[in-house]
Amino acid sequence: MSRADVLAALEERAREVRARAAVRAWEYRQRHHAKGVWFRLRRLLAATASAWSLPEEEARRLVAEGYEAADVGALLEPPKLLVVVPEERLRAIAAREPVELRLGPELLAARCLALVPFRRAETPSTPGGAAAAGEAETG
Amino acid sequence: MIDFRSRLLATLHRLAPVFEEDGVMVVGSEVPNLLQPAAASTLVVSQDVDVGIPVDRLAAVKERLAGVEGLRPSPEEPSVWVPESPALLEVNFLGLDRATRGPADTYVLDDPELPLMVFGLLSLLEPGPRVDAAGLEVPLPRPAGLLLEKLATERSGEKGDRDLLVALGLLLVAAPADLGEAEQRYRSLDPELRQTIRSNLATLSLLEPRAEMPDPRPHRERVAALLDRLERHEVEQ
Repeated sequence: MSRADVLAALEERAREVRARAAVRAWEYRQRHHAKGVWFRLRRLLAATASAWSLPEEEARRLVAEGYEAADVGALLEPPKLLVVVPEERLRAIAAREPVELRLGPELLAARCLALVPFRRAETPSTPGGAAAAGEAETG
Repeated sequence: MIDFRSRLLATLHRLAPVFEEDGVMVVGSEVPNLLQPAAASTLVVSQDVDVGIPVDRLAAVKERLAGVEGLRPSPEEPSVWVPESPALLEVNFLGLDRATRGPADTYVLDDPELPLMVFGLLSLLEPGPRVDAAGLEVPLPRPAGLLLEKLATERSGEKGDRDLLVALGLLLVAAPADLGEAEQRYRSLDPELRQTIRSNLATLSLLEPRAEMPDPRPHRERVAALLDRLERHEVEQ
């Protein structure tokens, strides 16, 4: 390979890195729009110790008790009911099924999910508390 | 079959002349391995060693490379030195330029013998203490800067995921003071980079385990704790 070819290959790599930086800048500006929804969902799941699929009536009962549904769930299509609940409350629901915490088909197919936050996290998970993780649009 | 750690250490010993030059350091996925006690090298199995060269030291490094045996420049890419024996790993030389600020500043340092990719984000790296690796003092970056660089780098697919798992490896060997330093330095970054770092941490938390890389599942709470620490500053700002 000639020296010119070597330099051309390196320049192409550098161009690709700079192009990705330009895309990132665009995505940053879009963070309040559709692109930002995925970040908010991932952020919410990152604060979650375990996820459980629930029948819709159980999920709605949790909301009625005051456990708040994360806003990001309503921004997905089809919408999801994502309720942040403590483990103690979840254990009282017999019809719960564990869901792997990954943006995979199983989690994306579930319509109603209970999300148990890490105990150390400051995410409020009591009735009336905000399902804050993933909801704060920061930066 | 030569084990990975032996190949890594043998390669580093071959690079000893280069490590004598100020500012040169190992900068890639091997760093978590070398920060383990006695450079145990059980965290990340990789087939190459990344070595950062300050751009203003290139001439001196080239002289020192004359003393390196068992590796030679690849004809296709002279910044990659390939091993002459299976007992060694490949070495990638990269340029470090403190004047760069971010990925948009990435450029090629043209040199007839050792042209280098200079990735803008590598300016986050600062020289750290040398660690003992089987009798050789190996220069490493401060873990905080490398952690931020790995989390801020925009990559996708398998390479991107592996980079995030290297960041996890760093988290596993980082001292509390390193995380405090990362938190402080994070505050000085541009909002876009901060957003990328938080986004990549969230992605890391949801990654599947991969062979010969740290398993993220038992460490998700640690990742969440770092995200909380970083976001605290976003609220303040």
